Amino acid sequence: MLYTGLVVAIVFATLSVAMGNVRSAQKSGTPVFRKLFGGLFEQVYLFVHQMCTGTIGPHGRKYVPMILTVWLIIFVSNAVALFMPTSPTADLSFTLAMALMCVGYVQWEGIRAHGLIGHLKHFAGPKLPPAMFIVTMMIFVIEMISEVMKNVSLSLRLFGNIEGGHLAVTSMNQLGEAFYVPAGALILMPIKLMTVIVQAMIFTMLTCVYLALVTGNEDEH
Amino acid sequence: MTGQGLGIGIGLAALGVGIGLGLIGFSALQGMARQPEAISKLQVVMLIALAFVELVFLLTVFIVPGTMGAFR
Repeated sequence: MLYTGLVVAIVFATLSVAMGNVRSAQKSGTPVFRKLFGGLFEQVYLFVHQMCTGTIGPHGRKYVPMILTVWLIIFVSNAVALFMPTSPTADLSFTLAMALMCVGYVQWEGIRAHGLIGHLKHFAGPKLPPAMFIVTMMIFVIEMISEVMKNVSLSLRLFGNIEGGHLAVTSMNQLGEAFYVPAGALILMPIKLMTVIVQAMIFTMLTCVYLALVTGNEDEH
Repeated sequence: MTGQGLGIGIGLAALGVGIGLGLIGFSALQGMARQPEAISKLQVVMLIALAFVELVFLLTVFIVPGTMGAFR
C-alpha cells in the first residue's frame, strides 16, 4: 500500500512537472525540447507514440494517452522494485487489476469501432456455410475462453517476472552471505534492470496488439 | 520426496523454455543479420514471442507447487 502511494506520487509529480514545462514553453514561445524536463519527457512520449502507431496503424494516435498512462505506472512500479523490498507489481492483485482494466478497455474500443454485434461477430471466426454452424459456435466458445485468459496471462507474466526477480536476488544474497558478498545485488541487478524495462514494454505492447486485432479494419485483411 | 519432485519438474520446465528462448533468439538474430532494415519490426515480434514462451515457465512455477499441495 505504501509503495503504491509512492508510485502514484512519482507518476503524478513527473506528469505535473512535464506539463508545467510544456505550458511555460508555450507561453514563452520556446520549443518544448529546449526545456530540460520537457525534452526528456518528449522522448518517452515519442517512444510510446511510435509503439502505438507502429503496432495499431495510423489510427493508433488515439490510444497514446491510455497506453502512456499504463506504461508510466508499470515502469515506475517496476523501477521501485529495484530499490525497495517490495513493489506494487510484485502483488498479484495490482497486476490483475491492470490487466482487467486493459482488456476491458480493449472490449470497449472494439464495441465502439464495430458495434456490439460486430464485436461479437469478431469472436466467431471466418464466415462459414450454414451447415458449419456448430463449428462457428465452437470457435466462439474457444475465443471467449482465450479472451478471458488474456487477463490471466498479462497479469501473471508481470507478477511472475517481478516477484521471481525478488526471490532470485534474495536467494543469491543468501548464497553470498558466507563470503560477505551481496552476490544477488551485484550479479542479478543488471538483469533485473533489463526485466523492468522489457516487462513494462511487453505489457503495453500486448495491449496495443489486442487493440489492433479488435479495431482493425475488415477491408485490410 | 515432494520437494525433489518439485525441483525436477521446475528444472525440466526451465530446460524446455531455455531451448525455446534460444530458438527464438537464434532465428531473430539470423533474420536481423540478413535484413538489417527490418530490425525494428523483428524486435517487436521477437519480444512478443519471448513473452509467450516465458509465460509457460511462469505457469509451471505457479501450477506445479499448487498441485503438490505446497503452494508457497
